[in-house]
Amino acid sequence: MADFIQLSINGLALGSVYALAAIGFVIVYSATGVVNFASGQFVMLGTFAGVAMLINGGLPWPVGYVGALAAMALFGALFFLVVYLPLRSSPVVTIIIGTVAVGIALQNAAQLTFGSWPFRLQSPFEGMTIEIAGAVITVHAVAVVVGTGILIGLLWLLLHRTTIGIGMRAVAQDVKAARLMGLRVNGLLAFSWVLAALLAGIAGLMLGPMWFADVNMGDPIALKAFAATIIGGFGSLPGAIAGGLFVGLTEVLGASYLSSAYKDLIAFGAMIAFLLVRPQGIFGERIQDRG
Amino acid sequence: MTILHTKAISKRYGGLQALSEVNMTVNAGEFLAVIGPNGAGKSTLLNVLTGLTMPTEGKIWLDGKDVTRWATHARIRSGLGRTFQHGRLFERLSAVENVMTGAAVRKGRSEKELQEFAMSILHRMGLSGVARHQISSMSYGQRRMVELCRTLACEPRVLLLDEPAAGLNSGEVELLMERLTALRAEHQLAVVLIEHNMGMVMRLAERIVVLNFGCMIAEGTPAEVQTNPAVLAAYLGEGYSHADV
Repeated sequence: MADFIQLSINGLALGSVYALAAIGFVIVYSATGVVNFASGQFVMLGTFAGVAMLINGGLPWPVGYVGALAAMALFGALFFLVVYLPLRSSPVVTIIIGTVAVGIALQNAAQLTFGSWPFRLQSPFEGMTIEIAGAVITVHAVAVVVGTGILIGLLWLLLHRTTIGIGMRAVAQDVKAARLMGLRVNGLLAFSWVLAALLAGIAGLMLGPMWFADVNMGDPIALKAFAATIIGGFGSLPGAIAGGLFVGLTEVLGASYLSSAYKDLIAFGAMIAFLLVRPQGIFGERIQDRG
Repeated sequence: MTILHTKAISKRYGGLQALSEVNMTVNAGEFLAVIGPNGAGKSTLLNVLTGLTMPTEGKIWLDGKDVTRWATHARIRSGLGRTFQHGRLFERLSAVENVMTGAAVRKGRSEKELQEFAMSILHRMGLSGVARHQISSMSYGQRRMVELCRTLACEPRVLLLDEPAAGLNSGEVELLMERLTALRAEHQLAVVLIEHNMGMVMRLAERIVVLNFGCMIAEGTPAEVQTNPAVLAAYLGEGYSHADV
């Protein structure tokens, strides 16, 4: 039982990271219709922003985390200005290819800057553990789960209780009508990219102490976040959360109780099963309902 | 006093001349109707006025400022408001959230004040009971009224209405006319109404502009337009005269 509790919390922690990556994915997709294939590299960049601030820069963790997140927000704004805005009138597939290109460029830039040797990013709660029903759990894992819960709550408040959030939801539904309400559509779209980059940055900082910081870490995260959005329901925020937690839990529990060789098979097998049996995912609406 | 003014506005889509040198003025507080057969260019005119489509030629002034190249949101913030022929509400937002998107145009209001303002508009239009309802659960008539509330929340001085009575039953049309008359009197709104419901046009409009094939073919009071030979020909064909009608 103690093992199960320990594994479940670790699975929830990993799932929280996937959920944050998936939420960023969904926010961009809802606002712009673009599937961001660089979302995994966004998370990788968040981890390496932490590496640059905490390891290379030697900053204390509160300052380093704020600096890393500020860098990610700036990156989100730059991505909007340099990649999305110039391609905005192009067919959506062109923008998607643009995100693929940026993902590759980011990975190579990270390799040139940091080298291919992985880093170990320390947690602010390094070495701290707590015991729950005989299970020894790292404080970092608990902090990741609790922190993600708080972030999701704040995100809900932003989207449902602020005019910026209501504007973002309006733009996601009908850009033309949003313009006719006097909403600054470009500003709201830019904010969507900034928010997605920030969430990816937080996911990256959370993931750093759980995995090694590796320039190639982006692709597996993107694939898991993609699987999470399919399982939860493409375009659905609650779906991204549920899907992320599901993928994280199945990955950790599957690796422990079956074999670590099957952990990806289980996650992607679940995704394929959802596509066959319930293609709209847990919370998503059927495609024909959106017409 | 003229609040909205166009000079020789034209819009061409490839080989199609959707608007041709339209000169139109809207005076403050005036109720102006724009009528014409299907495809006359009425909705294109609204699209050009609101900046959703840029004119090929011509100029638009709002409050004496040349807004011809202004973005849509800037025109809305300067006093234009528009509804759509086929309502374009944000389906996954509640009624009050829809209205708040319009209310957000004015700066300096807190979230709470915006919500209260949106609620007050819904209340005035008799919709406070469905304020928290999702749009998708509302009747067609309620949706049209929410769309009007959302546009009113932008606090326009010129309200552009694109067939607001389309799809409404006679009771709902009557209610809409009452509300529009009251709103106009209360806010000194200039209203530009595009409508096929001639009963509504003749009852509300002080002046009518008639478009046909993108050209302005007549302008005048309802009585003048009703007897204008060019208008009769556009609606009924060249072989008709006023005596036939």
